Amino acid sequence: MIRFLNDTYWVLWREIKHLQRQRFRIFMTLFQPVIWLTLMGNVFQRVANVPGFPASSYLNYMAPGIVVMVTLFGGVFGGMTLIWDRRLGFLQKMVAAPISRASIIFGKMLSIAVQNAIQVIVIFVVALIMSVDFNTGIGGFLIVMILASLLCMVFAGISLSLGAVATSHETLIAAVNLLTMPLMFTSNAMMPLKMMPDWLSKIAKYNPITYAVNPIRSLFLTGYDWTAILAAGLMLGLSAFLLTGLAVYLFRQNLSL
Amino acid sequence: MSSNIIETRELTKVFPGDITAVDQVSFSVKKGEIFGFLGPNGAGKTTTILMLITLLQPTSGSATVCDFDIVKNQHDVRCCLGYVSQDTAVDDDLTGWENLTLQAGFYHLSKKIATERIEEVLEMVDLKDRARDMVGNYSGGMRKRLDIASGLIHRPQILFLDEPTLGLDIQTRVKIWDYIEKLRTEKEITIFATTHYMDEADFLCDRVAIIDHGVIKALDTPANLKNALGGDILHLEIGKSDGPQLDEIRAKLAELPSVHDTKPENGKLLLYVKDGESSTPRIFSLLDKLGVSIESMLLKKPSLDDVFLHHTGRALRDESGNREEAMMSRFKMRRVRQ
Repeated sequence: MIRFLNDTYWVLWREIKHLQRQRFRIFMTLFQPVIWLTLMGNVFQRVANVPGFPASSYLNYMAPGIVVMVTLFGGVFGGMTLIWDRRLGFLQKMVAAPISRASIIFGKMLSIAVQNAIQVIVIFVVALIMSVDFNTGIGGFLIVMILASLLCMVFAGISLSLGAVATSHETLIAAVNLLTMPLMFTSNAMMPLKMMPDWLSKIAKYNPITYAVNPIRSLFLTGYDWTAILAAGLMLGLSAFLLTGLAVYLFRQNLSL
Repeated sequence: MSSNIIETRELTKVFPGDITAVDQVSFSVKKGEIFGFLGPNGAGKTTTILMLITLLQPTSGSATVCDFDIVKNQHDVRCCLGYVSQDTAVDDDLTGWENLTLQAGFYHLSKKIATERIEEVLEMVDLKDRARDMVGNYSGGMRKRLDIASGLIHRPQILFLDEPTLGLDIQTRVKIWDYIEKLRTEKEITIFATTHYMDEADFLCDRVAIIDHGVIKALDTPANLKNALGGDILHLEIGKSDGPQLDEIRAKLAELPSVHDTKPENGKLLLYVKDGESSTPRIFSLLDKLGVSIESMLLKKPSLDDVFLHHTGRALRDESGNREEAMMSRFKMRRVRQ
């Protein structure tokens, strides 16, 4: 077990070093939420005037959606580094060492979650500067962080599972593109369920993103909605657990790809 | 511990699609020797290494490395060996020092020991003054040296080098082999190296195995392998004539007591002869009598190239292609392995 933690630490260490070196990437990850909040907030401002809209401004409604959207995009590309490592032969070097196979998946997953946590913090800072309401203080913030991290691991799990079986980046990118946009637009991240066509709102109800958005949004706009928080925590936690298991399993099966 | 650091018994790997990459290979490597594994691309060299370092499961047969079974004691096997793949797998986005720190972490070395070892291996491959630079700015030779250094960080008993000089220029190749020689003499590490550069194998390896189509064709010291050809090799280019045909000429020549064997190659005729200097005139006068004209001749001591040609029926040098070709064949093999 100590060995597993040690191995995971070193895989994580490497990914964080990579992140530190890529200044442009850091800049983009920090800048992206700003663009989303200012641009989308402005473009859709008048939606909030529609009767029955659940928030006082679209920006207020949108901010939690941005948290989830950034998490989605952060997570789904998590498998990329796995494919790079395989192509460059570095993966082979890692598995030739006496390290736990699962630690490679866990280390990468943690690094994605850490990166995502930083982005979520940035969104909060920007949102507060733009005077978005946040009604639950530090406690609510921590819960948002936990839920966002779980959601991130769900998508990282999917991505790493794909990365474990795919041999080219193109495959992963194609799969990710197929996945993200529909997931995003069939959820209530950007539009309330009530304002969707009937068929769409039915799909949206069961979308994991909707599950995550609901409690996060109420933490922003109203207060602690414990039913939604627990439902999201359970559902996301279980999915993250199962998908991580799947990624580890597929990775072991396809080591010599 | 026995004196053999590697022992394989009928080691076999069959990939899906009934592709037999390694076919009942049995050999042993002695402690402290430099063992060369020679063969063209796709001969089964890398597949054999991958089985020995536990990254591929053998289809049948067995093997031990450092007295540990490669299937049952995978963890122990991994701890006792170092592996340097032909991909030169160093991380471009880390410094040399960080690459080694990472590797030390993977081998569970404590921080203090890791620092000592990193200094030690950097010294070994002359990279000390570049340790803090990003690997992305290293030359090909420096990257290879760093890769070798990271294979040594845990002081393995045996180092597997898969095509260590592939794609490097000649000076760098010589330098790499210097380091390898130094490893053996100073650190007493056994070296298992694959290569398709015959000249390198000839002057560096204590023993070589020649593998082709997954089968070991010959295994001995380079000197013995060359001697086994029976002396010298006479290359003859024979002029076209209405006289006797090639098979007939070969039959006549084989009757001479000094001629061991004859082989046609690319329109030339190869004769394996005893005491080339004195037997060549006799061969010439025989051919003259038969009415065969000789366009050109070359008499030489056999090289490992000739040994390879003798055992496999083709010249390896024809296939010692560039890096791109090697990449392609590797990708092809990967696809086959899926």
